[in-house]
Amino acid sequence: MKEKSILPHKTKTEPSSGAERKASHAPRVWYKLDLSAIVYPTLQRRDFSSVYRLSVLLKEPVNPQILQQAVDLALPRFPTYKTAIRKGLFWRYLEPNNRPGPFVQKDIRNFCMPMPFKAGNRYLLRIYYYDRRISLEAHHCLGDGTGGMCVLHTITAVYLRLLGHEVADGYFVKKIDETPHPEELEDAYMRYANAKVSPARPGEKTFRVRGTREPFFTFNIIDGVMSVKEVMAVAKNYNATITEYLNAVLLYALLQKQQSEWHLKQRPVKIAMPVNLRRFFPSQTLRNFITMVFPVVDPRLGDYTFEEIVIQVRNYMRYFINEKFLRGDITTNANTQRNPFIRVVPLFIKDFVVKQFYTRVQDKNSSAGLTNMGALKVPEGMASHIERFDIYMGQPFSSRTNCAIVSFQDTLTVNFASSIMETDVERYFFRKLVKDHIHVTIESNRQSLDEIL
Amino acid sequence: MSYCVNCGVELEPSLKECPLCNTPVINPKELYDQKRTSPYPKERGQVDVVKKTDLSILICIVLGATSLSCVALNLLVFSKNPWSLFIVGACLILFVLAFPVVIYTKLPIYISLLFDGVAVGFYLYMITFNTAGSEWFFRLALPIVALATILVEIFALLLRTFSFSHITAALYFFAETALLCVGVELLIRHYYEQPMRLVWSAIVLTVCTVIVILLLTVLSRRRLRDAVRRRLHY
Repeated sequence: MKEKSILPHKTKTEPSSGAERKASHAPRVWYKLDLSAIVYPTLQRRDFSSVYRLSVLLKEPVNPQILQQAVDLALPRFPTYKTAIRKGLFWRYLEPNNRPGPFVQKDIRNFCMPMPFKAGNRYLLRIYYYDRRISLEAHHCLGDGTGGMCVLHTITAVYLRLLGHEVADGYFVKKIDETPHPEELEDAYMRYANAKVSPARPGEKTFRVRGTREPFFTFNIIDGVMSVKEVMAVAKNYNATITEYLNAVLLYALLQKQQSEWHLKQRPVKIAMPVNLRRFFPSQTLRNFITMVFPVVDPRLGDYTFEEIVIQVRNYMRYFINEKFLRGDITTNANTQRNPFIRVVPLFIKDFVVKQFYTRVQDKNSSAGLTNMGALKVPEGMASHIERFDIYMGQPFSSRTNCAIVSFQDTLTVNFASSIMETDVERYFFRKLVKDHIHVTIESNRQSLDEIL
Repeated sequence: MSYCVNCGVELEPSLKECPLCNTPVINPKELYDQKRTSPYPKERGQVDVVKKTDLSILICIVLGATSLSCVALNLLVFSKNPWSLFIVGACLILFVLAFPVVIYTKLPIYISLLFDGVAVGFYLYMITFNTAGSEWFFRLALPIVALATILVEIFALLLRTFSFSHITAALYFFAETALLCVGVELLIRHYYEQPMRLVWSAIVLTVCTVIVILLLTVLSRRRLRDAVRRRLHY
């Protein structure tokens, strides 16, 4: 197995003044963007950024001053998150950001706002507080949900410690005084992209949710809160896992949406689902290490009952989500980046090509996004202060709905995020859960008619 | 605790209506309590505006230094004629063009375009210091610049007022090109005191008229419009 260097790139710098000499003792470090992260900045527009949000709902209201202290203490532990993005001639890269911040700020209704690279002291993450909630928003080029969750858990643990509670380290909570392991900063894709073939990924046009775009910048949220035990029991009845069951419910909702509208021809309904590769390839990386799988149901083959959709999803997942297939998939991705001819193409041409490819092919390859972070565990002393977690996949690139699932203890949260007015997919989704005798509590930031008028 | 009668989901206490189906929450036993804290804040955020300070400073320095050095050279070394006015004028045009993009981005497009027209006019006026007289400027160059500026302003107005498509943009472009050519020829004839009739601009006018009629037909027939979009999509 050919292994690439996992150490970040270092450049020696001359210490300039006496005062700075101490601070600049550590070599200046810069980081290449990882394989996934290359794509996200190219999609950056004035009205779109690939920003996701992770929230923790505590049992007591948040104290912003102490939260700021916690951020200041915890963030240096995550050097790849305390960075700014810069443009090179051929690729973008991350460099350490020593500007003041990031500062905690009061939460807003329309969160996951576009994140211009040069605004906010060039930080690519934002921290919000509201009542009992602490939220972390990060640009996807820094890392995936698992990496972001490590940052959020560590900040929350430090915050609770500053309040005088005893919280141990472990799980997603990192020791803030230890040096990060080099593996945490590596591009793990390159270590495992070593299959002998790179399988082609056939893309096809899928059903797309059409909706009325909300005025800029509106971000509509509908959260469903339910019991893990209830969902698990129902999923078990269908002989599926929670992820498979909820995937099937979303496919069912999208199928219903397609059937309820007039279409010249029906199209397959496909979900883009990120898979956490750390489950298959051991890595401690806090940067992106995910790949997409696309569970699909094709209504042109005939009408699917819900049970058939569950079987289809279950079989798909068990066939594709394994170490061999995933290795092939990341090899296909990596080969593009390794190609010497592609590497020497100037960045602005790469940007143009990637954006065109994403808009015309990749974005049309799925009808909705769904991610499941699974059951979160927290170290000793922390669980009693936390009510639940929420995750949001962020603003969808096109007019559709993204769904994110996370569970903590017996609370499972399904968070839908969209920038369109219609709520059909969400409605079909939650009604199906209610039909299956799951008790769902709904929360939303959508404006009611009273508020609009 | 209220449930949506339509969807069967429990609604968070601060909700006035079901977010899934907009059915109002009516629970006579538990009237909506204003004091309930919503799980989400009411305040809306604004996307940060990026200030291009470095770039604007760079542009000002480069253009300013170029102009000043040329003026100094003109005054002290090569002082036969005021040639530096060409460079100063060009720098001024570049500055006016860059101003709304880099320095003050909130400037309305119509005012930026007007400033662009004024800058071009001013540049042409500077040229008069290097030519024998300034009559050509007042009788020919200035009216042409004014006409072009007005047409560009109208183009921007049309694009921003009516729904944009490539076909409508082409329609405005060809219509305005025809008007510009006719105007230019008439102004040239007026300058040389020739009879006011159309010669070369008549050809442009005819071609543009045909194209405009074609585009209007395409726009008015949905089937044709769709066919054009289908065949020319990229």
